[in-house]
Amino acid sequence: MSKRQLAYVFDLNKCIGCHTCTMACKTLWTDRGGREYMYWNNVETHPGKGYPMNWQQKGGGFKNGTLQTDGKLPPMEAYGAAWKYNFADTLLDGKSDRVVPHEKPTYGPNWDEDEGTGEFPNSRYFYLPRICNHCSNPACLAACPNKAIYKREEDGLVVIDQERCRGYRYCVKACPYGKVYFNLQTQKSEKCIGCYPRVEKGEAPACVKQCTGRIRFWGYRDDKNGPIHKLVDQWKVALPLHAEYGTEPNVFYVPPMNVTPPPFEEDGRLSSAPRIPLADIEALFGPRTKEALEILGREMQKRREAKPSELTDLLIGFTNKDRYGI
Amino acid sequence: MSNSTLIKQLATIGMVILTATTVAASTVQAAPATKTIRVMSVTDMDAASPQAAIWGKAPVTQVALQPAFPGHGSIVGTPITERMTAQAVRTGKQLYIRLAWSDRKANTAIDNTNKFADGAAVQFPVNGKSVTTPFMGDAINAVNVWHWRADGRTQNLLAKGFGTAMAVPSEGLQSASVRTDNGWAVVLTRPMKVSSDEGANLAGKGSIPIAFAAWDGENEERDGLKAVTLEWWQLRF
Repeated sequence: MSKRQLAYVFDLNKCIGCHTCTMACKTLWTDRGGREYMYWNNVETHPGKGYPMNWQQKGGGFKNGTLQTDGKLPPMEAYGAAWKYNFADTLLDGKSDRVVPHEKPTYGPNWDEDEGTGEFPNSRYFYLPRICNHCSNPACLAACPNKAIYKREEDGLVVIDQERCRGYRYCVKACPYGKVYFNLQTQKSEKCIGCYPRVEKGEAPACVKQCTGRIRFWGYRDDKNGPIHKLVDQWKVALPLHAEYGTEPNVFYVPPMNVTPPPFEEDGRLSSAPRIPLADIEALFGPRTKEALEILGREMQKRREAKPSELTDLLIGFTNKDRYGI
Repeated sequence: MSNSTLIKQLATIGMVILTATTVAASTVQAAPATKTIRVMSVTDMDAASPQAAIWGKAPVTQVALQPAFPGHGSIVGTPITERMTAQAVRTGKQLYIRLAWSDRKANTAIDNTNKFADGAAVQFPVNGKSVTTPFMGDAINAVNVWHWRADGRTQNLLAKGFGTAMAVPSEGLQSASVRTDNGWAVVLTRPMKVSSDEGANLAGKGSIPIAFAAWDGENEERDGLKAVTLEWWQLRF
């Protein structure tokens, strides 16, 4: 256990699926050196196959405290290779009459974006932004026979020592979130580093800072005045993703509140059921989902009645300082 | 089955019987209990290629392999390779070790996130003594591993126990490999003499413990998922 733990809260009610977080991460860390195919940060449409494909069925993590060895090793086809476009040939040199990828893509990080599920007008989906959960009990760390993965003492960020890593990929198998990637060029595994070089300079991670929807809250878990403690521990409206894998993730999500209209009945009337079934959200965020949504609903109702709500103010996150203390 | 294949197979069976007889005879004579690889000493002979003529003359020893002790909870599965042959030739200051084993499918590249390459290795105790555990050494007694991989990478490793293998540069360590009818033949070569921080020094020794390992990439073998000799053999100069 590290001395302190940096943690994140992503408010799914505010995510507009713009991928600015993904681009911030990609341009900073993964646009080179064998990392081109990797998206340490991605935003996927839920329900959907996700990234890597079908990661929610990949296995790994812990069961009753025991590291599971059933985790799958996704092939490149499950990520989608970083295909290139013939922009110069087509747009500058006139050698081609259309812009095409250099190989036929069969999957990619946003392959089923905005598809969701259900028939119009009762179709539905929401965005699920994902990064490494910088778990308090990381399965990747437990799975590494070479002790190449460690939690940073000062902030709990989970990182892979590139000197020690020998590319065995037990970590890739063990992470139930599919958030460890194998670099074919260096033959070593890599993952989100929590932007620790920025953190060390007192700056928030790039994905947090660049988020245009301002959905991302970030800070030390034990900071009683910070947004993480308030949202996770005090208000209890932010929940970990797939906590059943036992890794104690440190990214928490404010579950989607069904702000979209309820579904239509056959006769055109609005149903009393939520558009996104509770069970679907619970499948991601566990049994406390209902309680979190009730708290959230209650506080939102206060605002509708022009009464103050500390929680809704907190979730609006008016300033950078409100959202990540910097 | 062609005649030539049949002849080859019969010859192989004959060799196995011959080897078995020899082992039985030496057991009766209370010859060294340790399993021995005899190093053939020659002068100025090319042995770097697994197809070099010298390998037709150097004694061939059958080495049985077993699944390695899984040193970590992540390591699950059963390795495929059950045996290999080992030969050793010394030309002055250089040692050549030739390993050959059957391997159905050549896995020569880690070109996908779920692919692993075939591999083989020999291991020596850095202190030259068989008190060192052959299971990757321990905190005090290091082992030196010459690790060949079918994607062309050959690494000189030092380890002090499970999960401690680290690559240490060794310019002198070279390898050459060839795909045989049914598997791989690999020659690993290194100067006899190196400093102790680079690996096991073989110079001036009458014999040194040696251990063997093979990985089948098709079976996702890597790290401790490997077929190995569970006890030291002796490489006798």
